Formats: sequence, structure tokens, C-alpha cells
Amino acid sequence: MLMMLLALLFFSSIVTAQEASERKPDDLLGLGFFLICLSPLFVLAAIGILWSLAYPVMLLWAAIFSGRKLNKKVSSIVEREHVSIAHFGRDPLSTLRGDYSSSGVSESGLVYSSVVYGPSHWHLLIAWFTNLVGGRIDILTKVIAAARAEAKQRLREQARAEGWDEVLNVRIDTAEMTPASVQKGPRAVEVFAYGTGIKYN
Amino acid sequence: MVVNTETIAGKVITQNLGVVGGSTVRAKNVFRDITQGLRNVVGGELVKYTELLEESRNEAMGRMVADAAARGANAIVNVRFATSAVTGGAAELFAYGTAVKVE
Repeated sequence: MLMMLLALLFFSSIVTAQEASERKPDDLLGLGFFLICLSPLFVLAAIGILWSLAYPVMLLWAAIFSGRKLNKKVSSIVEREHVSIAHFGRDPLSTLRGDYSSSGVSESGLVYSSVVYGPSHWHLLIAWFTNLVGGRIDILTKVIAAARAEAKQRLREQARAEGWDEVLNVRIDTAEMTPASVQKGPRAVEVFAYGTGIKYN
Repeated sequence: MVVNTETIAGKVITQNLGVVGGSTVRAKNVFRDITQGLRNVVGGELVKYTELLEESRNEAMGRMVADAAARGANAIVNVRFATSAVTGGAAELFAYGTAVKVE
């Protein structure tokens, strides 16, 4: 639709340019002004053309590398988890309310961390095909599990940086970045983890 | 003092001052949206959106704390967060909790 409008404007501007070259230079100035006014639209059209050229290449890139990238991410999270657990002596996160340990607490406060993580368009394509056949969509399960693990790991690191001994009552929220009803926008989930940090005497 | 537990360990709640909350809607500029859109094709973390939500959440929290302070509270317990996507690339963050006085 927009492209048609642009093409129409373009041809009409060529026609007016031909007419103008036969007439006074006054009209040429008007045409120049007209083209300058239209230049944002030309820039948009150029971006659209570039995007449609680059997209297949990027999809191919994603098809080759995104699975490997995801595996690398998962293993790096596992490594960082080991480091944190070694520092605290155990997993500092728990969903317990903490009423049992009310004695000897010197300080408490909110700790939170978040990550926005999305599957590649290649993964979305695989998911779409799987959806036609039905059944588990393993690849998306893996992506979202990685996002949750990352958010939890950041919460551990945040707790360590702020000097808490333990994080109680941990909650994990997941929200879509783009609602399913909206066509355009990033396809990603935001995972948000929060809890109450506790310092013991 | 802000916690998401119902009580604060080692403290006694003396007064309940009601529900306080704060919210904010924010979006990144169009160039960020374009770069993040490109990154989304390949998959992985969208760092700029993580930052965006972090900033927004801090702002929502700040408003909640200001609300509580205006009521004369010195702590907020049982804090909850809610996120909703109004449109692609923009987010509404909402934080709420119960303002209390503790000793």
C-alpha cells in the first residue's frame, strides 16, 4: 500500500520534473522543496528494501547458529550457578516465607532482577511447523527455560553483590513483550524474579 | 524498607496504612526498536529492552515508595509486581504493596 503510494509519488514527480525543465526555473525550486519534504518517505522505503534483502540472510544465519548459541548460553548459566552456589554454600534462593528464621535477622529488603529473552525467528518457524502437527514444542520450552535460569542466576548474583545471606519468598513472573494480538513487535518474554533478601547477625 | 514477605523478620508491625502502588509506561526510541528487531531475528537476550524494563521498574518502585512515605509509613510489605504490554516495544510496569508502620 505504502509502496504503491510511493511509486505513484515518484512517477508524478518525474512527470512534473519533465514539465518543469521545459518551463521556468521557479518551478524547479518548488520541485526541489517537494522532494525534500518527501525525503523521510524515501528513507523509510530504503530501509524497507534493505530489510527485505537482509532478512533471508539473517534467517539463514539464525538457522545455522542460534541452536549452538542457545546451548552455549545454557552451559554458561550452569557454570555461573556453580560459582554462586559455591559462594553461598547452597542455593540462596527459596520460595519459603521465612517465618521460621525470624530470630537473628539484622536486615531485610527487596532484591530483583530481570531478563528479556527471545527465540530466534528460525526457532519460531520450527515451532510453527510443530504446531501444525501438534505435540510438545521442545525448542520453545528450552528457550524459556534458559530465560528463567538466567533470571534466577541474576537474582543470585544481585544478592551476592548487595551482600544478602539468603533470598526468601522468591517469585518468578513471565510477561510477553508483545501481546499475541499485535502483529508487529519483538517476540520475546520478560522474566522477572524477585524476593526478600535477608542478612543474619 | 521494602519486602515481599508478609512480615518483616525481627520487626513488629504496629499500623496498617493501606495499599500503595506506582506505575509507569515507557518505550524505547524507534532506532532501538529497529536494532532490537534485528537482534530478535537471531534470538537471544534483547539487552536494551532488559534495560528499559529495569529503568521502568525502578521508577514504578520509586513512585510506590513516595506514595508510602506520603502516608507516613516506614516500610512496605508483601510487594507484588505486574507487567503488561500495551503495544509492541512498550511496557506498563506496576508495583504495589501494603504500607505499614513497624517498630
